[in-house]
Amino acid sequence: MSRRLGVWYVALALAALSTACRRPPQPGDPLLGLSATERARFDSGRVVFDSAFTPEIGLGPLFNSDACGECHEEPVAGGLGDETERHAAAFHAVPPAGARPCDELVALGGPVFQQRVTPALRAAVGIDSEPVPPQATGIATRTSPDVFGFGLLDAVPDSAILVLADPDDRDGDGISGRPNRFFDGRIGRFGRKALVPTLREFNDGAFVIEQGVTNPAVLDEGTFGDRPFPMGTDPTPEPELSRAGIDLVDFFVRLLAPPAPQRLSREARPGRELFARVGCDGCHIPALQTGDSPVAALRRREVAAYTDLLLHDMGPELADICFGLATPSEFRTEPLMGVRLMARFLHDGRATTLEQAIEMHAGEAARSRDRFRTLTAEERAAVVAFLKTL
Amino acid sequence: MNRFVLAAFVIIAPFPSAATAQQPTHSVQGAVRLVDVRRRALEVTTGVGLALRVVRLQVPADVRVTAAGAALPLNQLAPGDIVRVSYGALPSGYLAYTIERVGRMATGVEGTP
Repeated sequence: MSRRLGVWYVALALAALSTACRRPPQPGDPLLGLSATERARFDSGRVVFDSAFTPEIGLGPLFNSDACGECHEEPVAGGLGDETERHAAAFHAVPPAGARPCDELVALGGPVFQQRVTPALRAAVGIDSEPVPPQATGIATRTSPDVFGFGLLDAVPDSAILVLADPDDRDGDGISGRPNRFFDGRIGRFGRKALVPTLREFNDGAFVIEQGVTNPAVLDEGTFGDRPFPMGTDPTPEPELSRAGIDLVDFFVRLLAPPAPQRLSREARPGRELFARVGCDGCHIPALQTGDSPVAALRRREVAAYTDLLLHDMGPELADICFGLATPSEFRTEPLMGVRLMARFLHDGRATTLEQAIEMHAGEAARSRDRFRTLTAEERAAVVAFLKTL
Repeated sequence: MNRFVLAAFVIIAPFPSAATAQQPTHSVQGAVRLVDVRRRALEVTTGVGLALRVVRLQVPADVRVTAAGAALPLNQLAPGDIVRVSYGALPSGYLAYTIERVGRMATGVEGTP
């Protein structure tokens, strides 16, 4: 072998070794393949994400948390939180004259009713949280999910969601997923009821509803119930967060990688096949494809999301509030990427084990749940073991 | 503080004319929440993410309401209709200049308006 050929072999071997050793993304890591500039912006965004606001720099007057990282923190920034929040709405299956079936109580401070207030608001009106109005027909508890991989979900084209919809169950499989729509008619995908069309809007809105921090996209804090905030309770000029600041946070969240699925153990391997056999994958679609994106790391990627981003009827036991087109019993299929990190399951955290969560599925999921029940204990354990690799 | 979308709405008779309004034009696309034909009032739900807002508008009698290019009586608007509204701010509230019905919040799988 010539010396030159030998050098090539060594170089190829090193390249192969480097690829093989490239560590799959861990929770909190960015997507693979970022440029140095993108990585720097990602790191800067994490700093803003973890920054705590005070009333002097824009927090409140109503808020649920003082930092993004207060509720999205386990095991790292962007992860889960043990905090819950409160949403409320009024649903009338037969709507009053001149009204939609769902009233998100927007004119009364809804749909998110904040649980904390600044000292100034407490002093002015004597409350510790925003009261839910008596018009509410449902109050919902919402856990804080991780946001890993949300940029990839954002990059999935609407057409990829719509092709999975079967609102009239024409294929007769008992599953009739349908898209939710925002108030301007666009397809929704973010939030437990899939109301919000884009990640950017979710982030822009979250600063206001979770922290009371205005930004160029939302220049007011809304109301306290149906009233404006008393004078002097919000002294910081709007916007309280600059466009540059929220751009960085959005970039950080957008480029957080989904935790890479773990290698299947011997116990988990049959679980993947059983997951499909009982029909879980009818809604928890294993993979979605992203479309075009200005960020190469988001462009035309496969994301092991295990969701169809559609609404499904989950039965009366789980029902809580309506939201947009979603009825109280309809929820978006929860993405299962990163489910191994969770300690509580379902939209309100009522299930403490994956098997409990499966047992609580009803409505369109009843057929799959019943098939799961017919499995042997060993087979059910395999399904759970498989889920714990995601 | 900008109380952009929830300013109090005061009914003034006679209703102001859209043509006489000299305010900068804003626009919003959202879902009709309420139509009060007698009071010429329209409420539109909109927002950013989960920060939802209601825009309360006065609708002068000479405001052009359209759907697919054709004129539409105000009483033909219904809750859940998706409208695109241009409007201006007056001390008494927001005044609609044009209203176009562009779709309806519906479960179908057709495209976005």
